[in-house]
Amino acid sequence: MTNYIVALLLGVGFGFALNKAGLTKYHKIANQFRFTDMTVLKFMMTAIVVAMIGLYTFRGLGWITFPTVPGTYIVGNLIGGLIFGVGMALTGY
Amino acid sequence: MNKFKAFLTKESWSPYVAGVLLGIVGLLAVLLANSLLGASGAFESIAGGLGKAVAPGLFSNTYWGVEGARAMPIMQPGITWSVVLLLGIVFGGTLGALSSRTFKFRFNDDAQWKRIIGPQPWKRWVIGYFGAIIVEYGAGIAGGCTSGLAISGGMLFVPAAFLFIGGMFISGILTTLIVYRKRY
Repeated sequence: MTNYIVALLLGVGFGFALNKAGLTKYHKIANQFRFTDMTVLKFMMTAIVVAMIGLYTFRGLGWITFPTVPGTYIVGNLIGGLIFGVGMALTGY
Repeated sequence: MNKFKAFLTKESWSPYVAGVLLGIVGLLAVLLANSLLGASGAFESIAGGLGKAVAPGLFSNTYWGVEGARAMPIMQPGITWSVVLLLGIVFGGTLGALSSRTFKFRFNDDAQWKRIIGPQPWKRWVIGYFGAIIVEYGAGIAGGCTSGLAISGGMLFVPAAFLFIGGMFISGILTTLIVYRKRY
């Protein structure tokens, strides 16, 4: 149960961040692919770097072990990404 | 305190600030629940749960798992941790819009969409519907979406994340080129 409450609260934080970054809007996503608005990359890369620093520090301190990582299968990841990009650019989702 | 309130009620933050918040949320997910953030998987879990209730035979496969089999399903069907997270994302987005008093039911009000694709709401709905299928299908093949694979995988230095981001940009740029033509 606690786990679900944690999930709900983390989701609220996630949704709040997306809204404040303006990524709930079509033009923010479409313009990333035109390189006239770099919000998506700035947002994503900042999140990745901040979380990465924390994760590797905490693992070094022995506080956490990494969860199961998403599997790497070159063809699948790449083809999935290629299909995903079409939908993302069309809809702005 | 007033400064903090003004900050919270601003319609948009610098993407770097919002990114730091997401980074902290992603970190807390591992720290508190030993889980990774994601969105696309939740839709698949809901679909799998509904499918198993309606047509158990059809939905008994390696993707959503076979009853009694020892192999773990690729995607856990039903109300999973990710589904609750997705619910939270909806609440969080709503809360964000409410905080800046920009909450409104919108059917097609993005000025750029109207200019490029057209003002008719049905176009937004039809393209949105089929586009969402493409998005979810791609995420299913790749093993995650922008959040579950690109961001969550990226923060763990998983090669899959960067392959996915590369693919997403190649086809995203091409699709936008085709849609925008001379207006690109």
